[in-house]
Amino acid sequence: MLQPRSEILSWGEQGRIAPTDLRPALRLAAILPTPAQWRRFLDRMLLFMGAVMLAAGVIFFFAYNWQELGRLAKFALVEALLVAALWLVWRLGLERAPGKAALLGAALLTGALLALVGQVYQTGADTFELFAAWAAAILPWALLARFPALWLLWLAIANLAITLYFQTFGGWLGIAFDLERQLWTLFGFNTLALAIAEASASPQGERWALRVLATASGALATALAIIAIVDAEHHSAWGLLAWAAWIAAAYAFYRHRLRDLYVLAGGALSAIVVAVAFLGQHLPSMDPGSFLLLGLAVIAMSAAAGYWLRTVSAESGR
Amino acid sequence: MSALTRESLWAKLRERGLVGGELPAPEADRSPWFVRAMLGVAGWIGALFVLGFVGMALEGLMRIAVASLAVGALMCAAAATIFRARDSDLVTQFAFAVSLAGQALMANGWFDLLRLSSAAALVVGAQQAALFFLLPNFNHRVWASWSGAYAVVFALGKLGLAALAPAIVSAAFLALWLREFDHPRRGRLLRSGGYGLAIAAAQAAVMQGPLIHVLLFAEAAGGDRVVMWIGAAAAGAVLLWAVVALLRREGVALASGPGKSALAGAAILAVASLKAPGIGPATAILLVGYANGNRLLAGLGIATLIGYLSHYYYSLQATLLEKSVLLAAAGLALIAARLALAKLWPETGIKNHA
Repeated sequence: MLQPRSEILSWGEQGRIAPTDLRPALRLAAILPTPAQWRRFLDRMLLFMGAVMLAAGVIFFFAYNWQELGRLAKFALVEALLVAALWLVWRLGLERAPGKAALLGAALLTGALLALVGQVYQTGADTFELFAAWAAAILPWALLARFPALWLLWLAIANLAITLYFQTFGGWLGIAFDLERQLWTLFGFNTLALAIAEASASPQGERWALRVLATASGALATALAIIAIVDAEHHSAWGLLAWAAWIAAAYAFYRHRLRDLYVLAGGALSAIVVAVAFLGQHLPSMDPGSFLLLGLAVIAMSAAAGYWLRTVSAESGR
Repeated sequence: MSALTRESLWAKLRERGLVGGELPAPEADRSPWFVRAMLGVAGWIGALFVLGFVGMALEGLMRIAVASLAVGALMCAAAATIFRARDSDLVTQFAFAVSLAGQALMANGWFDLLRLSSAAALVVGAQQAALFFLLPNFNHRVWASWSGAYAVVFALGKLGLAALAPAIVSAAFLALWLREFDHPRRGRLLRSGGYGLAIAAAQAAVMQGPLIHVLLFAEAAGGDRVVMWIGAAAAGAVLLWAVVALLRREGVALASGPGKSALAGAAILAVASLKAPGIGPATAILLVGYANGNRLLAGLGIATLIGYLSHYYYSLQATLLEKSVLLAAAGLALIAARLALAKLWPETGIKNHA
């Protein structure tokens, strides 16, 4: 796995590159930004931070529910901003950064508009309905734009809608009683999203958004396995099976099909956590010896995982 | 990494006279950050069990502060010896867990002796600083740097100076990362400390305000208003310092078009930091990450910004109306600055070579 930055810095540490030559070497390897890249970065940073802060300001404003401003004025304000953002998207196009920033702003403003509708007309809708409607409203834009930041916003809103749904209908103790169903739903949703995203991703494209999704999906699978182990009386063993299937699928795909060491490292950590939960649950008593045994087991498993990951890393790939 | 790729990189550098001689053999312990992170988290879990073992086995002894300190110090000394003696994953993970458990025992001893005070926190901070230098392991140094910085944050909170923490930790973070390339022979030492400080700076930037103050420091007050204003102004100043230092490093005059554009953006965010003090440090992390070609740091900066804005909604420093005005005004100013950028620093005519 080529890590030119680490490699050059390592040569610097070994004294193979003179201190004064280190930055020129990093520039030559295209690690440090050129003036043109600096300009582009500054342009994008000002643009996206400006768009997100402006839209967040509008959301905060409607959350405040300022009584001195009439309902018509409130609607006029948020709708005018939304129309302006969409007009910018139309004028600038979705291929250019300003168009994408305007669409991201429009997606955030849609949430403000929906919240305002609920606030003004007292629709009686639950909070999860607001987030579900928000996710549904901006889904076509996310599909059209194929823009990772907008996809992640959409996924965050949809995850929030699912979580709030279970808080609303989870019985008198909410989350506690419906935790398993909530975890299953979130796991299914995020894993499906990951599968679709991987199927449609370009092999040479950026992987950060996919890794965020894989982290969410893997963490939820791990949570399902842990509750199946530590509270077997109240939770089905299907959670453990789902986790095992997830680990097997992740290994097959990210080791043999598309090498992604990040997901493999996350999978290794998940396996260590689940194995320790299993061991801890099946030890006859939690005496000092058991604690030592568990500690040593974690150390041994993590060392083995580290060795394996380094071996995979030494092979070519990502 | 394939040999061919390493060779082509070496050849490219040799062609320009930046390196000489044969390509060095690849280092065995070069692994991506997420492998190190996995080992770090697993080591931390292992340490909890080792601590449980020591706590239960020596329960009576642990109630005596001095005994807790002595056993903890012995464990850290043993870990230092192991780190220096062997470099296999198994041994290293064992030493990491033993040291972390030892540090917890020592911290327990100090807090027992000096109560939950700023003095105890500062002593723990000094202890972590010493361990940073004494235990030669990358992951351990990241941990020691983070925990030492957070002990200082805790001490500041106990002294009623929590509002200064984001600026102080971010300044330490910047001081280190801005010199990353100045001392290549000590690069690994600098970077391990730098990552610890980066996590601490991100945490201090996001987790601030009266509510967090109560949760973290068990104190009802978040410091007086003067301290809060000084902390907020310092958080903005940290960002301005980062921009000025980077412009100087890149050889860009402050009065030039690019210099003015960068300073204008930083000034807007520094002013916004007066009422939203997480913005300055978060942007500084993003900027330094980008400037040093470090995508992990740049990503941490973006995550810190998102985390801070989410936390800001619930923070009690201002009403939602005040926050909305601040965010909208800053957003508009940034968009205006971007429009000014096109005039001050036109895309045409930029030299793209190094």
